[in-house]
Amino acid sequence: MILDALKTLIYVLIFPGFLFCFLTGLLLAGIDRKLVARMQKRVGPPILQPFYDFFKLCGKQTIVPAAANKTVFLVAPLLGLAALVVLQLFIPVFQFQIPAFANVADLIVILYLLLIPAVSIILGGASTGSPYAGIGLSREMVTVLACELPLVLVLLSVGRSVGVAIGAKEGITFSLSTIVRYQLESGSLICKASLIPAAIAFLLVIPGETGNHPFDAAEAETEICEGMLAEYSGAPLGVYKLSHAIKMLTMTSLFVMLFFGGIGTGIGNLVALIGLTGGAAAAVTMLLDVLVLFVLCVIVTAVGISFVHAVTARLKIEQIFKYYWTVVSALALLSLVLVWYGL
Amino acid sequence: MFKKLIEESTGKSPWLFHINAGSCNGCDIELVSVLTPRYDAERLGFKLAGSPRHADIVVVTGPITQQSLPRVLRSIEQVPDPKCIVTMGSCPQSGNVFRGSYSVAGPLSKYVHVDVDVAGCTPKPEAVIDGLYLATQILQEKRKGMKK
Repeated sequence: MILDALKTLIYVLIFPGFLFCFLTGLLLAGIDRKLVARMQKRVGPPILQPFYDFFKLCGKQTIVPAAANKTVFLVAPLLGLAALVVLQLFIPVFQFQIPAFANVADLIVILYLLLIPAVSIILGGASTGSPYAGIGLSREMVTVLACELPLVLVLLSVGRSVGVAIGAKEGITFSLSTIVRYQLESGSLICKASLIPAAIAFLLVIPGETGNHPFDAAEAETEICEGMLAEYSGAPLGVYKLSHAIKMLTMTSLFVMLFFGGIGTGIGNLVALIGLTGGAAAAVTMLLDVLVLFVLCVIVTAVGISFVHAVTARLKIEQIFKYYWTVVSALALLSLVLVWYGL
Repeated sequence: MFKKLIEESTGKSPWLFHINAGSCNGCDIELVSVLTPRYDAERLGFKLAGSPRHADIVVVTGPITQQSLPRVLRSIEQVPDPKCIVTMGSCPQSGNVFRGSYSVAGPLSKYVHVDVDVAGCTPKPEAVIDGLYLATQILQEKRKGMKK
């Protein structure tokens, strides 16, 4: 009983939970900044720069605007961070998934949880009463709405593809652990021709969901003073920056699990080959899996976030909406139609 | 340990907020050139922040006109502690060629404590980076002196 509670605490606070998210998320953000700088022929900040930023913000004075609702202003960032950490708990690391979540972790829950950080930032921004926040939050809502349709279509096509292959009762599965297990047995889904458009669509959704260039109209520093964050300072701002970094990790690791889920098996066999057994083998496999996941996340970040950031300029909000509901949705829909006809 | 981490980080991640107080735009362009690939101040962690609430270092350019003075002071008040104020170019220090004009209220040091002055019309990007680097060290000292 106590052991179980302790285990759960470790899950939530250390491994797939808070500490893991904190370290890998900020590291990923640092690598992203470095990559963008290198692509623009700059030297770029050190890879640990997001850590410096976060700790510096923790040490700054926190000013609560006189017009703001103090409780909402201070609680909203924590709400968003908590939702993201929970989201990361739901996403398996190849074979590993928290036992308690194995049966409930499904794509619908993830869709819901993905909305909470956006809602928290909207709440926090709205509570300040700043006109910049007003513009920012209306744009954030449009961006979230724009990303949602292609994301749902991508998840449907993945679910249908796996559901048919394993002969699920309804012909579709939303269970993330089933999707990953299927990939471990029969290869990554990216190898399936009919799902390649869906993978591209998901890759294009990532910068929109995380609010990165060129889809960052909601947080445009140069025109609306970072929108909803305009009034934030000190530790709450640091928490928002941390949430942004963790969201990058969450989206990229979700991409890896949906489309590259099969890569973990080879590693498992490798460990068996060396001759390790039992607990040691499990631990080494786990460590290698996390490493592989992180490397894949970095690759996805490089292609999906850094490269796009380096070569594009910020889009207007109506262009973002139009882009997602035509080009990206069409790609996802193409995949869905192909999958539905059993390709 | 946590306190030391914060002190270390304060010097490594200074975010700039730029106020134009009636400048001729020369210094503003030079400040932007500091962030371009050629000089790349981001390697020292500098970043241009959009809102004074995010800033650590306030960079003021221009001779502080009567019109801009209350706005400059109000923007500086909104920057959370610890903060540094850097003047860029000769104008905010002495008024430069605008000295004695009826519409100029400067120098800035009459109204607020200025930490670093970067003189020149306009200063070279290297001089600006040097001044900003000096400001980060003052920032670190200020953080050490702050009561938690």
